[in-house]
Amino acid sequence: MDIVQKKKIGLIVIILAIALSIPLFVTKPYYIHVITMCLLWAYLASSWNLFCGFAGQLSLGHGIFTAVGAYVTIMLFNDFNISPWIGMFAGGAAAVLLSTLIGYPTFKLRGAYYALATVAIGSGVMVLIENTMTLGPFHVGGAEGLIVRLMGNAPAYLQFMSKVPYYYLALAMLVIVVVFSYWLKNSRLGFYLSALKEDEDAAAALGINVRNAKLVAAAYSAFFTAIGGVFYAMLIRYLEPMAIAGPMMSNEMVFLAVVGGSGTVFGPVVGGITLHAISEVIQFYFSDMAQGLHLFIYGLIVVFVIMFKPQGIIDILQKYYNRFLGISDRGEDESSVS
Amino acid sequence: MSASILEVKQLTINFGGLIAVNNLDMQVGYGEAVGLIGPNGAGKTSAFNLISGVYKPTHGQVIFNGEDITGLPPHVINRKGIGRTFQIVKPFGSMTVLENVMVGGFAHTSNRNKSKAIAMEVIERVGLQRKVNALAKSLTLADRKRLEVAKALATDPKLLLLDEVLAGLNPTEVEEAVDMIKDINKSGISILMIEHVLQATMAICNHIVVLDYGKKIAEGTPQEVTNNPEVIKAYLGDEYEAVIN
Repeated sequence: MDIVQKKKIGLIVIILAIALSIPLFVTKPYYIHVITMCLLWAYLASSWNLFCGFAGQLSLGHGIFTAVGAYVTIMLFNDFNISPWIGMFAGGAAAVLLSTLIGYPTFKLRGAYYALATVAIGSGVMVLIENTMTLGPFHVGGAEGLIVRLMGNAPAYLQFMSKVPYYYLALAMLVIVVVFSYWLKNSRLGFYLSALKEDEDAAAALGINVRNAKLVAAAYSAFFTAIGGVFYAMLIRYLEPMAIAGPMMSNEMVFLAVVGGSGTVFGPVVGGITLHAISEVIQFYFSDMAQGLHLFIYGLIVVFVIMFKPQGIIDILQKYYNRFLGISDRGEDESSVS
Repeated sequence: MSASILEVKQLTINFGGLIAVNNLDMQVGYGEAVGLIGPNGAGKTSAFNLISGVYKPTHGQVIFNGEDITGLPPHVINRKGIGRTFQIVKPFGSMTVLENVMVGGFAHTSNRNKSKAIAMEVIERVGLQRKVNALAKSLTLADRKRLEVAKALATDPKLLLLDEVLAGLNPTEVEEAVDMIKDINKSGISILMIEHVLQATMAICNHIVVLDYGKKIAEGTPQEVTNNPEVIKAYLGDEYEAVIN
C-alpha cells in the first residue's frame, strides 16, 4: 500500500470517527436534530445527483419521489400495520415506477422537456395529494396532511424516543448513498452517463442506448430519494403535502447539489451539510430581525458560490485534498474524489 | 452472406422538398477502403447518417454483413459493428482522453479494467499515448480527430465510417493521419471515408464514389474518377464542361 492510499484511508477513518462520536459530546436534542437534518439533506442532494448530476439532466420535481416514498410507507404502516422498515421498499418501488413513467416519454426528447415535465408532474402530484382524503382502504389526509401513528419507542417500527438513533440512521444512509455514488460513477453506466451528459449523438454512436441509461440511473435516483422521504416522515412524524412534495423540497435538492458540485461524488454531500448548516445558523440569528431576511442572505450565498465557483464548493476542497495527498491537481488519482 | 460488408440499395432521404440523398447504390467490400467525395452539400454526411442510423431513409436499404439494418437506431448499429466519427468532432470535453476511449471500450465488457486495457491499446494505435490523461477539450484539432477515431475503434467495429478526419489538418498531420488510417485498414477493418483532401483519399482508397446533389455521378478507381468529365463539372462548374469536351 503506498502513501497516497494510506492517507486516503486515514482521512476516511478520521471523518467516520468524528461522525460516529458526535452524539457523545452534542447532547441537546435540538442540536442533534439540526445535524441529522444536515445529513438528510446531504443524502437527498446525493440521491438527486445520482441521475441529474451524473447525467446532466435537470429534475425540478424530485419532491414527488420523497412524497411517494413517504406516503406509501406511512399509509401501509397506518392502515395495515406494515413496519416502515419493510414499507420503505414498497415506497421505493413506487418511486421507481413513477420515475420510469415520467422518463419513458420524456427521455426521448432533447432539451428542456424533461425539466418541464418534472415541474408539471411535481405540482400535479402535490395538488393531487392535497385533494385526496382517502384512496381505497388508505387514509391520505388531503391538505391536512398525514400523521404518523405513534408507537413510543419501537425500533421495529422505525420509531425512537431519542434523537440519537435517527442521527446514526441518517449517517448510515449517507454513507450508503456515497458508496453507491462512487461505485456508479466508476461503473460502465457511470461512464455512459458522463458521455451522454456531454453529447447524446456521440454517445449513441459508441453503442450507448441513451434512453435506457437514463431510465436506469433515474430509477436509482428515485429509489434513494424515496427512502430519504421515508426517513423524513419518521423523523418529523407528520406529512404535509406542501413540505414533502412541494417546490421547496424539490428545489432544495437542486440547490444543495449544484452549490456543492453536481456530477461529483462528494459535492452534494459537502453542499448539503455546509449549506444547510449555514441556513440553520442564519435562521437562528436573523429570522427575528426582518421577515424572510434569512432566506435573502441564504439566496445571496447561493448566488455568490454559483458566480465564483460554478463547479461548486467541492472544487475548492479538491485542491486542498490533492495537496494533502501530495499529488498534482491533475494527478492520476483525481477521479477518486470528483 | 453477400460479397460486401456494406451494401446500400436505392438509398433516399427527403428533407421536406429537398432530396439530400437520391437513389444511392454503393458497396464496400470486405477489407476494402472506399472514398465518398463530392462538393459541399452533395449529401455525403446525410448518407453517413442514414447508414449509421441517425436518420431513417425515406426509401431504400442498408445491408451490413448480409443483414438488413435499415432504420435501426444508432446504438444498435454500432453494436452490430459499424463505428463512425463526426465531421464536427464530438469529444467528451471534461473527460480525459483515456475516459473518452473507455466509453467506447465498454461496448464489449462491463469490466472497468478490461475497458481500460482496450482503450490503452487503441490510444497507442492512433498515437495519443502521450495525451492519455489530458482533458479532451484541451486537445488540438488534429488530436481531437485522432480521439474521434480512437473512440470509434474501441467499440471494435468491422466497418469504420470516417467523416472528414483530414479536414483542417496541416500537411504533416494529414500525412500522419493517412498512415494511421492505412494501418487501421490493414488490420482488417473496412473503411468508408468522406473526404475533401483528394490526394489523401487516393492514397488510402482503391475505390471512390462521387456524389453531387444527392446522386451518384461517378464511381471507380481514383484515376477513373478524376478523369471523369461529370466529376470535373461538379467540382469546377458548368463553364469548364466545354473545355473538356
